[in-house]
Amino acid sequence: MIWLVRHAICALLPSSDHFPGPAELGIDAFLVQLRRESNGLFWFGVVAGGVVFAVSPLITVGLPVPSFFLSAAALDRHASRIASHRFYLVRQSMVLLKMVAGFCWGAHPRVREKLALAPYPPDPGTWRAS
Amino acid sequence: MTHLAGQPRGPEVVLDADYVVVGSGAGGANIAVTLARGGASVVIVEAGPWRDPHDYPSSAYGGMRDLFDEWGSTFTRGRAIWPIVQARVVGGTTVINSAICVRTPGDVFARWERERGIPIQPMADAVARHQDALEAELCVEVAPPGAVGRNNALPLQGASILGYESALCRRYVKACVGSGQCLSGCVAARKQSMNVNFVPEVLRRGGTVVSNAPVKRVLTEGTRATGVTGWFKHPESRKWGAKFTVRARRAVVVAASATHSPALLQRSGIRSPALGADFRAHPGTAVFGCYDDVVDLNTGATQGWASMAFRDDPGVKLESLAIPAELVAGRLSGGGAQWMERLRDYRHLALWVHATRAESTGTVTNGWGDRPVVRYTLDTADMARFRAGMVLIARTHFAAGAKAVLPGIHGLPYRLGPDELCRMENAPLDPRLYVGILSHLFGGCTMGTNPANSVCDPWGRVHGWSGLVVADASTIPSNLGVNPQHTIMALARIWGERLLDARSSGIA
Repeated sequence: MIWLVRHAICALLPSSDHFPGPAELGIDAFLVQLRRESNGLFWFGVVAGGVVFAVSPLITVGLPVPSFFLSAAALDRHASRIASHRFYLVRQSMVLLKMVAGFCWGAHPRVREKLALAPYPPDPGTWRAS
Repeated sequence: MTHLAGQPRGPEVVLDADYVVVGSGAGGANIAVTLARGGASVVIVEAGPWRDPHDYPSSAYGGMRDLFDEWGSTFTRGRAIWPIVQARVVGGTTVINSAICVRTPGDVFARWERERGIPIQPMADAVARHQDALEAELCVEVAPPGAVGRNNALPLQGASILGYESALCRRYVKACVGSGQCLSGCVAARKQSMNVNFVPEVLRRGGTVVSNAPVKRVLTEGTRATGVTGWFKHPESRKWGAKFTVRARRAVVVAASATHSPALLQRSGIRSPALGADFRAHPGTAVFGCYDDVVDLNTGATQGWASMAFRDDPGVKLESLAIPAELVAGRLSGGGAQWMERLRDYRHLALWVHATRAESTGTVTNGWGDRPVVRYTLDTADMARFRAGMVLIARTHFAAGAKAVLPGIHGLPYRLGPDELCRMENAPLDPRLYVGILSHLFGGCTMGTNPANSVCDPWGRVHGWSGLVVADASTIPSNLGVNPQHTIMALARIWGERLLDARSSGIA
């Protein structure tokens, strides 16, 4: 389901003239890592967000097609409207996706340079073994 | 001195001690070190791994993966879905909090006496004595001038202009360097979280720490607690390992947090009408201010400023907060190109938050996979406090020179100018319209003299049981209106002393 999550995240946070978006920042490898490392409940929430994003253009832009078939302009309108949709569970389902998008985006050295932040050293992922 | 960091599948690991302490956060570490200083043998059992400062992650992703409880996937079930902030690591939530030190307000003890029959004087005096000692041991101080940062200096200025009291926070941080990284652990090792002081001291005094060891249940014989048992769990692969059992000759101390302690007691067969009830929290939210000048909110102490001027009316504490850029991105509303455009403001944003002294109560139950299930919804009065806190933050932003604030309330414009504050003041009180978060958790195993409405007595001992003590925030029967770590640590030390007294007098 990584492709589904990738589609939603890249639509929610597209590249701009000022910042690269996750599509340019290694989102595929990031999502593989997330799938491998996250727990089932977290990943379920992420995928559920991706599903809601894909099937909901009818309630955002009035088009009865999955989001994959939207034009670039319509997809952007869909991304904007679903993130602030009047139905709580719909907009809430985007929260985890946005957080994951933020993880990928805000930790990338290219973005951090633009934000005047030092690059992160690698997360060691270690612990006291004895 | 022994640290067992988990065992793969194989023979059962069995340990014996005078006391076994479940959890190594503010409560668990303090009762353990008190017992160890008194000469008792202690085993601390912690569900998460032991990460030293050089093991800490830098990114928010790493923080979620390595430090937070189950990827931060605990949330409220109620009218709104709000996340609950807790860590799962040796040192508990003290590893990921901002180490703010506030003494227990006197009105809290008065309330406990009035509502729970807990006599004020012995309790208040003992708490004050231990808080004196803790402040010396943990090097409590405000951020030095070079580590304050604009995100903490601006609210001081705003509050001064508005004429309310505020100050730089006293924190358990020794010579803060202002790296703004408290929430993913202080790599600079300045923050005095429990994993860098009291837990190692327990080891030095001959105690044992068992990490990567989620406790399945408390073992009992009749009405006496005799130990704990569970299976090791690898922190990365999440594979189950060997079974462990720790037998306690004197007492089992449960200090697994306000969510996990009630859940553990429930699945261990402890019955009490109050178990899991009276769950409380300080729900909070953030309001961004947009400034013409660069703020760089991640430069300086994570939470260096606070005001308690509104603790009684409307019932909020105000604080500054630096969250990493990754989380700022997720917190700004919007989607698509519009969202990306909003991120251009990042360097000009200041972020301040409030913690609401909410009176609403919820419940904690043991759910599937031993996960605590928290049911909690803020009532209208608390939502009014919650909203009032946001308005206070917005006013402070404007007084400090912000050109706009970002309220993050669904249905309101993304930005509000100084003349539009009335829109915030009149925002609906439906919690689903707000982006809230629960920190500072209380209750679930509340203390009191009446077993009908409390789980523990004023010394943390579970009513109707011998050798079973609860020593964490779950025992606290009311909201404090201030950061709870100082209170939790002092209470745990009092109960540790009480256990030692009972030991020396031969009372179980």
